[in-house]
Amino acid sequence: MGAGLEKLAALREDPYAPARSWKERTGGKVIGYFCSLAPEEMIHAAGALPVRISGENRVISKSGAHLQSYCCSLARTGLDMALEGELSFLDGTVFVHTCDTMQRLSDIWRLNAGFVFHGDVVLPVRFEGDLARDYEVKELSYFKERLEEYLGDIPDDALAESIKTYNRNRSLLSEIYGLRLENPGVLSSVDALTLAHSSALMEKSEHNTFLEEVLEELKSTGPADGSKVRLFGVGSLMDQWDFLGMLEAVGATMVDDDFCNGRRYFDALTPEDLAPVEAVAARLWERESCPCKHLTKRDRAARLLDRIRRSDARGAFFFLFKFCEPHGFDYPYLKAAFDKAGIPSLLLEIEQGSVSIEQLRTRVEALVETIKI
Amino acid sequence: MSDEGDNLSLTQIKATDQMKQLMVEYYIEAKTTTEKPICWITSGGPVEFLIAMDVIPVYPENHGAMCGAAKIAPGLAETAEEMGFSRDLCSYARADIGGAVKQDGAIPGGLPKPDFLLCCNNICGTVTKWYEELSRYFDVPMFLMDTPFIHTTKTKHATEYVRQQCLELVGFLEKQTGREFSLEKFAEVALRSVAAVELWKGVLKTAESRPSPFTCFDAFIHMAPIVTLRGTQQVVDYYELLKGEMEQRIADGIGAVPEEKYRLVWDNIPIWYAMRSLGNLFASNQACLVADTYTTAWAVDIKIDDPLTSMADAYTKVYLNIAIDIMLDQLLGLMEKYQADGLVMHSNRSCKPYSLGQYDLARAVTERTGKPALIIEADMTDSRVYSEAQVRERVEAFIESL
Ligand code: SF4
Ligand code: SF4
Repeated sequence: MGAGLEKLAALREDPYAPARSWKERTGGKVIGYFCSLAPEEMIHAAGALPVRISGENRVISKSGAHLQSYCCSLARTGLDMALEGELSFLDGTVFVHTCDTMQRLSDIWRLNAGFVFHGDVVLPVRFEGDLARDYEVKELSYFKERLEEYLGDIPDDALAESIKTYNRNRSLLSEIYGLRLENPGVLSSVDALTLAHSSALMEKSEHNTFLEEVLEELKSTGPADGSKVRLFGVGSLMDQWDFLGMLEAVGATMVDDDFCNGRRYFDALTPEDLAPVEAVAARLWERESCPCKHLTKRDRAARLLDRIRRSDARGAFFFLFKFCEPHGFDYPYLKAAFDKAGIPSLLLEIEQGSVSIEQLRTRVEALVETIKI
Repeated sequence: MSDEGDNLSLTQIKATDQMKQLMVEYYIEAKTTTEKPICWITSGGPVEFLIAMDVIPVYPENHGAMCGAAKIAPGLAETAEEMGFSRDLCSYARADIGGAVKQDGAIPGGLPKPDFLLCCNNICGTVTKWYEELSRYFDVPMFLMDTPFIHTTKTKHATEYVRQQCLELVGFLEKQTGREFSLEKFAEVALRSVAAVELWKGVLKTAESRPSPFTCFDAFIHMAPIVTLRGTQQVVDYYELLKGEMEQRIADGIGAVPEEKYRLVWDNIPIWYAMRSLGNLFASNQACLVADTYTTAWAVDIKIDDPLTSMADAYTKVYLNIAIDIMLDQLLGLMEKYQADGLVMHSNRSCKPYSLGQYDLARAVTERTGKPALIIEADMTDSRVYSEAQVRERVEAFIESL
């Protein structure tokens, strides 16, 4: 393992270290966000650092006074961190309209977390048709104005520059993911996903340099052990690194995924030949969509199956947060489609802070055995 | 409808029979029609368009409430759970999906199959997912009326987006029904809708008097027509009748709760299967639930001179589509108008947009008014998570503290 990859292990332990040190170094503003549909390039172009908040494995203390126990752990542990002052490096937070939980979390956060800036990007739920697209562009322009009131002007050329930096990052990640499809043994699932996940935790150009190094290393690595059972992961956010480690330990590897801190995060490029705000809108629209967005013409099951086929995965696992409505509603239909296509799958419902790897291990082993037969 | 929900006032509301008749006739027509198309619609959806196009609207949520009251919702939900729908998902959706598969429910044979679907996400994002499933299951088209959530500002571009979607909806309905939309007919329907909403507001207002002529448990039952059939003449007639009866009660000094001593406001969807026991519990402690945030949700304004813009506006700013600080203002308004002594909140594990934020609201209400708030943990139709003994104990302790 090269030096680049070693850095990653530290990030899994202390995900916000790069943001804190960036702030110390530059004196710039750090803006947190929960959902990967946040228009990060705008924040970046204003000279601030966008950072993804993804909760963590902990027993909550303060957020229980604001959120009921039937709320997903992402919201509960994220709010808890804010109320405990652990996110004090943030100057503001941006919420994107996705699910009912995030929508209410935005209100509660605005009223209790005490950050200077609070932004809501009320993206359309429909991701189809001219009306919704037109509204999306207007809402993003409106958000940009709010952001400018706080962070100062975002000139078009700065935004165009940020778009390039972000696109470079997306291309690099996609190349690394592609390499793993060919030669999965070169990089473990944990490291692969951490590469994507960490992209949302660091300044983009820094991350680009980092990815370039990693890519060089990987390219010079010869054929590696390819005997592991190839699996595909589905869900919202996957931050259970121990789980992925266990996966490898029982002889499987996640070759591709549909997580919003994995493939969905870097999928699709922002067009560089459009006016910048329209370009940002265009990518969010084209990106692998999450179940919070309504599409009638793009069938999520068909798209996932296509990716499963292309990655030559032999099985899939759904890694869902308990109490998550958007993913919970999609599960039965996706599972049925996978069954029909002969892709065995496993449903794992988790809450951050109470994951028992041992319990999950037995079930993963069973899946791996079924596939091997 | 079930016996559970028939009459929750200790004194019989006479209009109940008419309401039942109205609802029975409506369901019979929906079940037997051969010429009118059926559209399943969400409770916050713009039903006026369907009425104007002679489409029969069918409300899975209303049916869900009926199944809850009849205590058959958990059985239906189990069917959906066997299909892989988690027990943590909205129980209206689970019961409805299960009911569709089993062709069963609170009306014989379950709801009539939809020809198409109209989903408006002004109440939650859950309905979008639920209707997507219905659209796959029945293989029928779905129209999503997307009403951007209002956090701090209601933007012009959001209102315009919704207004344009109203026009798009017209096109969708014309295609589905093969009929032409008539603006004239639509205006008539909108007028009747406004009239019915005004009358409904009038009914709710009668609860301002002491003693209150009805409790919110009665309102939950009598709201069925305003939700399902507003825009029709029968609904206007019905609420005229009900309002008259309530006014007569005031004149005669009849209260819904004998010797009303405490006045309370209810928040969230009713606990349908426990309405009678809760009604009795509050009444026997001389407490009357005089108002609630649920039935007032249908008290929206539509302006006749520009029905489309005002409808887009009204449908966007409904109670569940606004931030909790805006909700708080409305809640405080209700507390004051109805001279409430306290607030009872149903923390409903099925409904996140209604329930998340209640802890903050409860604290804010007490801070601002000095009045206490009680939070009951339950589910609107899934009685498997309900503990009657615990709720009884908490309600009694709460009333004692007043
Ligand atoms: S999409 Fe699911 S996991 Fe994400 S915030 Fe919403 S409920 Fe939680
Ligand atoms: S109960 Fe709540 S989550 Fe369920 S359909 Fe109604 S508003 Fe949506």
